[in-house]
Amino acid sequence: MIYKVSYVVVGGRHPGAIVNQENPPRLGEMVKLGGELFEVVEVADLIPPQGEFAYLHVTLRPVKKKRHKRR
Amino acid sequence: MKEVIELLKQSELFASLPVEKIEQIISIGRVKTFDAGETIIAEGEPSDEMYVVQEGMVEVLVASGALHDIPGPPELTPVVQLGRGQVFGEMALVDRGARSATVRCVEDGTTLFVIPRQAFWELCDADHHIGYIVMRNIARDLSFKLRHRNLPRALGA
Repeated sequence: MIYKVSYVVVGGRHPGAIVNQENPPRLGEMVKLGGELFEVVEVADLIPPQGEFAYLHVTLRPVKKKRHKRR
Repeated sequence: MKEVIELLKQSELFASLPVEKIEQIISIGRVKTFDAGETIIAEGEPSDEMYVVQEGMVEVLVASGALHDIPGPPELTPVVQLGRGQVFGEMALVDRGARSATVRCVEDGTTLFVIPRQAFWELCDADHHIGYIVMRNIARDLSFKLRHRNLPRALGA
């Protein structure tokens, strides 16, 4: 199965992405798009699967960079 | 060659075409590589090619708030990034109009499979099965892109 994924980013400036992949994204997983890291917060079928293709909608949120405390 | 066959098999545009038909499409196209920041196509320009992302990522941008009396190039707003297997430039293949968006390369070494419009139409005219399958899949792909475009608004993103 090929997963055609519509990634929508909530709470960031990234425009989102459409990517074909061999494995479906899972909740809590980290996804890298164009060099930026995001967390998967929602996965849903966008439209019913057809032939070899499944169509998914995935909501992402940006992963905040950890700030190192100065000592 | 094998790599391009695998790509086109995994691209929705050519889904359900047998390998020998995919090879016919490959015979009229070519592979091109771009680096981050390079403009692949520009909004408003004439169009005669369609592209399939083989590896890497591109970004689709549209001119926003362009006022003709303000000098300088219009501000470009990114609307989506397209990764492996995705197609762009297909609208021009269908309606022969000018480019509706600018597409820029996001990652160094992004590889695209380029299909020239004229040769592709000739192939579709000669083989209606290829023509029917690809046009059906283009319609499906455009529908998916519209749904993707509408989702952020619905989610308030």
